Amino acid sequence: MKNVIEIKDLVKKYEKFELGRINLEIPSGCIIGLIGENGAGKTTLIKSILNIIKKEQGSIKLFGQEIGDNNLIQEEIGVVLDNSFFPELLTAKDINSTMKSIYSKWDEKLFRKYIQDFNLPFDKAIKTLSKGMRKKLEIATALSHHPKLLILDEPTSGLDPVVRSEVLDIFLNFIKDEEHTILLSTHITSDLEHIADQIVFIDKGKILLHKDRDELLEEYGILKCSLNEFSMIMPEDIMQYKKNKYGYEILIGDRNKLLKKYANFVIDKITLEELMVLMIKGEKSC
Amino acid sequence: MLGFIKKDLFLIKGNMKAVGVMLVVLIGMALFQDINLAFLPSFISVVLFLSTFSYDEYNKWDSYAITLPNGRKHVVGAKYVTTIILLLISVAIASILSIVIGIVRNQLNLEEIVGTMGGSIFAVILLISITYPIIFKFGNEKGRIAMFVITFLGVSLFTILLKSINIPKDMISFLEQYSMILIIIVSILILIGSYILSKHIYEKKEF
Repeated sequence: MKNVIEIKDLVKKYEKFELGRINLEIPSGCIIGLIGENGAGKTTLIKSILNIIKKEQGSIKLFGQEIGDNNLIQEEIGVVLDNSFFPELLTAKDINSTMKSIYSKWDEKLFRKYIQDFNLPFDKAIKTLSKGMRKKLEIATALSHHPKLLILDEPTSGLDPVVRSEVLDIFLNFIKDEEHTILLSTHITSDLEHIADQIVFIDKGKILLHKDRDELLEEYGILKCSLNEFSMIMPEDIMQYKKNKYGYEILIGDRNKLLKKYANFVIDKITLEELMVLMIKGEKSC
Repeated sequence: MLGFIKKDLFLIKGNMKAVGVMLVVLIGMALFQDINLAFLPSFISVVLFLSTFSYDEYNKWDSYAITLPNGRKHVVGAKYVTTIILLLISVAIASILSIVIGIVRNQLNLEEIVGTMGGSIFAVILLISITYPIIFKFGNEKGRIAMFVITFLGVSLFTILLKSINIPKDMISFLEQYSMILIIIVSILILIGSYILSKHIYEKKEF
């Protein structure tokens, strides 16, 4: 499988935050979910990939070519950014006319079809649209020049569950073509449990984990025990733990093996949300 | 670049009503009073054009724009080209109005109209040439402040200079003879310099 995105030793420094070193390879044909708490570096990573901010070190290649102001790359990607789009006085009609002159492969018919399918008005200013409708317009715009790669920063934030599921269906539809790839960041991790093929977990500017979603959800587990029982768990089996009112929640790595070892304990499958919380907020075993 | 120009023109479209109303009021005033319409072009183009920067900034258009093909290259160029288009349209409107009003009031002075329009084109070009790089570098808010400061300082300096310096007579006649050509050449040079600077700033800018 070809890599669509190849990042090597990427470093970006701010006064109070540093992203990197990031090494990441993303193959074509899948949906990659980028998760992490607010301020973890998801948007910085996405902005670096899109050349909105300039990297300090390392290399970023899209479709095998170094990024920069590379039209060939920009023609092949569709972008949805968090809170950044056309000025809100414009209408879908204006966007269509503008994009026709910007993208060589802009497909007006397809754009109109998306607008119709999403029940969006063609002649009304963006400022009159609801948040969900705006997001759908942004997604329709990102899809209408037949991109091969979608880069989406928080595309589902602020959407109600019905619109969210509609949007996720659009992504699943897009990915049916094996040459298509989606990189999307979100803190709504449950979305990714439904659609992502791989999960990239980023924290404090570093990648903590990059795994296939199924492998990750199969491999990791959460062991729940009472305050007294905690001492019975071997320290080497505890990745992270969190104490609550009634006992402990312990993040474990090799779930199938530990299911046998701790047969008397409750070991549940983990959700991405639990994994995130335990990895970020949990304590390390001593 | 056409796409980015279109986007700015679509943005301005929304403000045309307000400009239309102002235009009618000004024409009304000019018909009955001795008002020079020469400031009209600068007024219309600057007001309209600065509004596009505000909308862009409010919706963080630039981060999105530079992910589009040729975004970093063409956003800046489109701003300059659209301003010039607007400036020329408003100069044309103001010239026609001045001529019509001159005929109606029986005071038509073509030479004066050409002179004042030329002057106003030069003033607008000077203003945007200084303001745009500042807007691209520091944002719309600071650009606006800079514009007011420049206008104020420029007018004051010009007045002081005119009063304090005795311009030799042959220089005045030279300026009178070649003023239009000089204005055009100097305007183009300043504009090109400003565009190169803005482009350089924008290419390096992070959003």
